[in-house]
Amino acid sequence: MKQISKSWLLGACVVGSAALAACTSSLKAPATADVAVSQAAVENASGADGTEFAPEDMRKAREKLALSKQALAAKDYKAATDYAAQAQADAKLAQAKAGSAKAKAVSATLQEDIRVLRAELDRAATQ
Amino acid sequence: MKLTRIQILLASTLLLLSACAGTPKSTSLLDQVHTQYSQAQSNPKVATYAALEMQAATEALAKADAAANSRESLETVDKLAYLTKQKIALATEVANRKASEADIASAAAIRDQVRLDQRTLEANQARMKAENAERSAQAARDAAAAATQQKNIAQANESDAQRLAADANARNQQLEAQLAELSAKKTERGLIITLGDVLFSVDQAKLNADGVRMVQRLAAVLQQNPKRAVLVEGFTDSTGTSAHNQELSERRSMAVRDALLDLGAARSQIAMRGYGEAYPAAPNDTAMNRQLNRRVEVVLSDERGVITPR
Repeated sequence: MKQISKSWLLGACVVGSAALAACTSSLKAPATADVAVSQAAVENASGADGTEFAPEDMRKAREKLALSKQALAAKDYKAATDYAAQAQADAKLAQAKAGSAKAKAVSATLQEDIRVLRAELDRAATQ
Repeated sequence: MKLTRIQILLASTLLLLSACAGTPKSTSLLDQVHTQYSQAQSNPKVATYAALEMQAATEALAKADAAANSRESLETVDKLAYLTKQKIALATEVANRKASEADIASAAAIRDQVRLDQRTLEANQARMKAENAERSAQAARDAAAAATQQKNIAQANESDAQRLAADANARNQQLEAQLAELSAKKTERGLIITLGDVLFSVDQAKLNADGVRMVQRLAAVLQQNPKRAVLVEGFTDSTGTSAHNQELSERRSMAVRDALLDLGAARSQIAMRGYGEAYPAAPNDTAMNRQLNRRVEVVLSDERGVITPR
């Protein structure tokens, strides 16, 4: 009876550790992919003048990307995925802010152009 | 006793459950995210330009809410709430960017239109300027042409006047020369040519050859100066009766008139009077003086044909 119970315990341990291993290895690949995607998002945002137009969001994105890489190295795949998701969201927001700020600037320039042109036109028309 | 034990177990289980139900279904961050989500949803720009991003935010919020409702850890709920917050902000920024881009597109069209208006205006102004210049030039040309024409007219008038003056001058000179030949005398009544007694047959009204020559010259003068006229006045001396003298004076002046008519002078140019022995040129005391009194005087009018009557 005691032997049976010992062998049960051993079996349970084997199954459990196997399940755990399967579990961690199943988290490793997507976490790695998430980190890579976030890395790309940060680089894109940086290339789209995110640092210039949204420095705070870019700082947070880089910080979280660094944390996700650390977590990945420490095999904390859950944390790596979480940080990567946050870094990606921050980077995308930084890029969007840069885009909207640039479009707004262009629009303002155009409006000013139109104002100047209209003023010239009015002046010319009254001559 | 057994019942009591079961009761205690049940009570403690209930207590545990109620404690579990007491954990908040939301976090302050999730509440904040809900507010932001409502704002983004009521933003027409987001609805128009960032439907896809807003859809992602909606899904993220559903996950966060589900985590809160299934009472997962505050940390997990906040992580999901943070992601939702960033996605909402992303949707707003994308909407702003696309709205600005739409503004840019319409502004570019407006700017092009304004530029076109400007070019049109410039072209119109240039055309008007050219037309004005052309009008001015035409006016100047017209004025110059008018001036030239006036000058020509003035020159023509001047040369006409000069020619007329020259003609008049020439006529006057000729007239003077002719009158000098006729030994005309200047008097207050005008030029007077005296046809003396020697030019007539004695006591007759017939001109002799010398008299005819004088009358020919006079006729020539009248023909060349059709505006002038003559008054032919006959006189005698006091010898003989007044009636005879009156008749003789009339016949002699008539003879002169007829001779002038024969020689081509116009009838309208010639008037005639006989004065008999009136108006003697000298006292009738000597034969010489009486001969002076027997005469025909021809008074030449001025250029208008006027003769002052005696």
